[in-house]
Amino acid sequence: MKEKLKKIVADAIKEVNSALKEADVLNVKSKFLGKKSELSLLMKDIKNMSVEDKKIYGPLFNKIKTDLELKINEKLEEIQSKIDIHLDETLPTDEEIGSLHPISIVAKDVTDILKRMGFTIVNGPEMEKEYYNFEALNIPKTHPARDMQDTYWLSNNDLLRTHTSPNQVRAMQKFNAPLRICAPGRCFRNEDMDHSHETTFFQLEGMVIDKNVSISNLIYVMEGMLKEIFKSDVKVRLRPGFFPFVEPGFELDCSCLICGGKGCSTCKNSGWIELCPCGMIHPNVLKESNIDPEIYSGFAFGLGLTRLAMMKYKISDIRILNSGDLRKLSEFNIE
Amino acid sequence: MLISCNKLKTHIKNSEDIDWLSIWDKFTIRTAEVEGIYQKGKDLKDVVVAEIVECENHPKKEKYHILKVNNGKKIVDILCGAPNVRVGLKTALVNVSGMVSGITIEEKKIAGVVSQGMLCSELELGIGNDHSGIIELPDNAVVGTNIKDYLPIEDIIVEIDNKSLTNRPDLWGHYGIAREIAAITKHELLPLEIEEVKNDKKDLDIKITDNNLCSRYCGLTIDNISNNKTPFEIKIFLYYTGMRSISLIVDLTNYLMLELGQPMHAFDSRIVKKIEVSKGKDNTLFTTLDNETRKINNENLMIKNNNEYFAIAGVMGGLDSEIKEDTTSIFLESATFDATSIRKTATSLGLRTEASARYEKSLDPNMTDIAIKRYLKLLKDYNEDLEVSSNLTDIYPNPLNPITVKLYKTTLYKYLGFNIDSSKVIEILESLSFKVEEQKDYFNVLVPTFRATKDISLEADLIEEIARLYGYEKFKVEPLKLDLTFKSLDNSYDEIYKLKRHLATKFNLHEVHSYLWYKTNFLNKYNIIKENTYLLGKKKDNILRDDLNLSLLEIANENASNYDKFGIFEVGTIINQNENIEKLSVLLVDNINNIEKIYMHAKNIVSNIFKTFKNIKVQFKNSKSQEYYNKEYCLGIIVNKQELGQIKIFQNKISPKKKVVVVIELDINMYLNLDKMITTYSEISKFQNVNLDYTIILDNEEKYCTIENVLSSFRNKLIKNYQLIDIYTQEKETRYTIRVTLSSFDRTLNQEDLQNFKTEFISYIKEKGLSIVE
Repeated sequence: MKEKLKKIVADAIKEVNSALKEADVLNVKSKFLGKKSELSLLMKDIKNMSVEDKKIYGPLFNKIKTDLELKINEKLEEIQSKIDIHLDETLPTDEEIGSLHPISIVAKDVTDILKRMGFTIVNGPEMEKEYYNFEALNIPKTHPARDMQDTYWLSNNDLLRTHTSPNQVRAMQKFNAPLRICAPGRCFRNEDMDHSHETTFFQLEGMVIDKNVSISNLIYVMEGMLKEIFKSDVKVRLRPGFFPFVEPGFELDCSCLICGGKGCSTCKNSGWIELCPCGMIHPNVLKESNIDPEIYSGFAFGLGLTRLAMMKYKISDIRILNSGDLRKLSEFNIE
Repeated sequence: MLISCNKLKTHIKNSEDIDWLSIWDKFTIRTAEVEGIYQKGKDLKDVVVAEIVECENHPKKEKYHILKVNNGKKIVDILCGAPNVRVGLKTALVNVSGMVSGITIEEKKIAGVVSQGMLCSELELGIGNDHSGIIELPDNAVVGTNIKDYLPIEDIIVEIDNKSLTNRPDLWGHYGIAREIAAITKHELLPLEIEEVKNDKKDLDIKITDNNLCSRYCGLTIDNISNNKTPFEIKIFLYYTGMRSISLIVDLTNYLMLELGQPMHAFDSRIVKKIEVSKGKDNTLFTTLDNETRKINNENLMIKNNNEYFAIAGVMGGLDSEIKEDTTSIFLESATFDATSIRKTATSLGLRTEASARYEKSLDPNMTDIAIKRYLKLLKDYNEDLEVSSNLTDIYPNPLNPITVKLYKTTLYKYLGFNIDSSKVIEILESLSFKVEEQKDYFNVLVPTFRATKDISLEADLIEEIARLYGYEKFKVEPLKLDLTFKSLDNSYDEIYKLKRHLATKFNLHEVHSYLWYKTNFLNKYNIIKENTYLLGKKKDNILRDDLNLSLLEIANENASNYDKFGIFEVGTIINQNENIEKLSVLLVDNINNIEKIYMHAKNIVSNIFKTFKNIKVQFKNSKSQEYYNKEYCLGIIVNKQELGQIKIFQNKISPKKKVVVVIELDINMYLNLDKMITTYSEISKFQNVNLDYTIILDNEEKYCTIENVLSSFRNKLIKNYQLIDIYTQEKETRYTIRVTLSSFDRTLNQEDLQNFKTEFISYIKEKGLSIVE
């Protein structure tokens, strides 16, 4: 009897092990554990056995049955978990995604930084009144910047704004002092185009007015902003610059990122890049917008967003930016 | 502008203490931007004064001479091709293994002669343009002297960016630059040596007709000028600073302009009778010194001599006024003309000269007489016997006086962000030739006229002087104080950014930028006629755009050859006559076969935008647009009965070949002004929903909205919503499968409820004339 059982177990295990498909295992199950299986038939004989034999074979049959069931279920699970999975995990991913214009990306970076310093973002029109673009900014009627060769004058006596500075006037007249605004926007100059000159470019205007705003504050904000923008220890220098709407006026240079300050073609061998005209707001400009220069002072700056984007992405030809050529523009992605 | 350090040194006491190479970094951050520094004479080595002692024609080579030359140590053999060789001529010799123009000269056998060095022209020495022969040095030059000790060949030439000098008329001459350097380095500026004029003769006949345009005119006549040869030191200075040497009389006017910044003019006094400064007459032809005939207009300020035009004031003299070879007496002009008038004249004539460039900056009228006295002094250095033959005639109707500006200490400290010692303030201002009186609360500052013509008139202007010479690099930085004033809720910039980012990341669209004006060629090519506000002074590409989509179409057309399908967008301004309007334009480009798919995609994008950012369900309604769009498929995007934009298709004939261009246009301000809808909580039924699917059949000519209209008019309180789940198009008819979801708040729906609904629903649909599969 024991020999018979041993053989049944051995046969069953052998067949389970060699089964490949789910159906094979189910066949083995019914063959060895089914109602008409040899094992079931032998089990029926237990009732005819002696008391001693019953004590031996009862538990033995049970153990064989449970062991086989366990074995078969394990095999079933093994086969089921493998079923129909043909995975090539080395296939490439689908990376299709649109893109933002490099100017939008850079403008977002800069405005985020300025927002952390408490600046509100405002905007103004591209077709602008002479008053906002020149007159209210202390640019006299005889100033060369008003000439045809620099400014796009329009048939309706308006003009295309030559800088984002009209936003200063609009903000002062809308919000009054104190004030902390920035304004990214598109500007226009009547220029012949080449790899470094465009008729259409972006600036970001910034302006702070409060009691006791000083040159020291201006340097702090400018340095802080540029260090955040370039995420590196960029060197910054101020030198005198003249713009009718600021006094004192400065040109803010930063160390050339291409050559690290050693001198290259981008920085015309000076090691510095002219990045951001700025200065203390001219008293006449404050007065024109009904802010008392005896009480308030402030500073303003105009960051060249187009130049910044060109530096960040190492773009050598400014004309790419307005070309609409997706072969180039789509490379800049989203961030 | 080119600046000679040799010249600057003559104006500064103890100038040898200054490091003339490194000072320019400081100058850039204190005063104006330096663009380049050039060291002259570096490529010249072992060049000496030498004398030709023998001169023979070369037997075979025409034009060549075999010379014996004394170089101070010995007599050497030289082969030379210059025409001006002669015995006794003192000239410059490069000895063997010496260097000229950076080339080392070796002993060399040329045409059978061993040449032991080379004689040089001015050009080869790098001190002039003359290459017609070897340099001719004065007879008193000592043979054997190193040429660099004999001529001021070694110099440092500095190029200063003209643009950074626009507001500093005082810096358009070496003397002004020297003043800055002296102030920066705390050195003393030396006064200019001048020759006073006794004024014991007759006044010249000078008249200014238009005082507004000529604030001062000084004239002087000088006779008996026998030496009109410019010495080398002045020649080299002029050459290094970019001027051409002509004759002593002319060169000294240029020298004064480069030194003081005051343009001058010397006329042959044989011609000058009666000078008048007045505006020209329209369409007068006038020939200038450069032998060009130019058309004058009535805005151009002219100098007249004896009622004939003589010079264009402040720009250029006339051909007739030229100094001749036999000129020995001159009429010297030193005047101040109006900056704007000169700029306009120079611009309108297309003739910007060194003089006009200076006048444009608003020159100080108080230097005209100094310039004449200085000229006289220099001319006398080379012409001991000259005679002043007139009074220094000075027409100066409204003299410019120095102005006084009160600089309050509180204002100064507020601007700087720190307190500065009064002694420092006074030291800085005085180093720049301001006069300062300190009072308890303020400084009384007298501004010299050379800074007062347009540069300095206010406190803030003086603060700049103090701040820049104090040194911006020494300022301590000071964070802004917290300002809790809450200004504006305007977050439109962020909203637009979010929208753009959504289009790029969710719908894979690419942002582009296009110009504010139409390209004329583009409009012509597609026969599109546009009338709008336009740019003045331009014949092409001058009409401002009133349709952003057209700008993008141009870009789409160019990309179509590189991509099968793509989508681009821009948020940009369009101009409607006098109005700026902000628009979003999206262009979806795909093969013409996919027109239906891509049109639906456009609708989905619009719905998605409004759902995402405004929580609003938009409606679409047929609308109209310009003639270059397809008439049939123009949908208005409607929210609250307002049309915010459109979805439309460009006509085939203007689209890229075999492609369709579907447009989404949205008015950005209308979009920004829409409030976000807030979805309030609504309770969900505890009982199970039931879905019933019905198929409704339409003829192919009809559109889905027929079904939608019927469905939306059907009222039944069990209906939760409808959904179109399948479309099946056959030859003549299309079957739309609609899923109707029913639910009740108070019970589970039973068979009877459903049966009642079915009957009611089907009969309603039929009643409305639609066929439904039962």
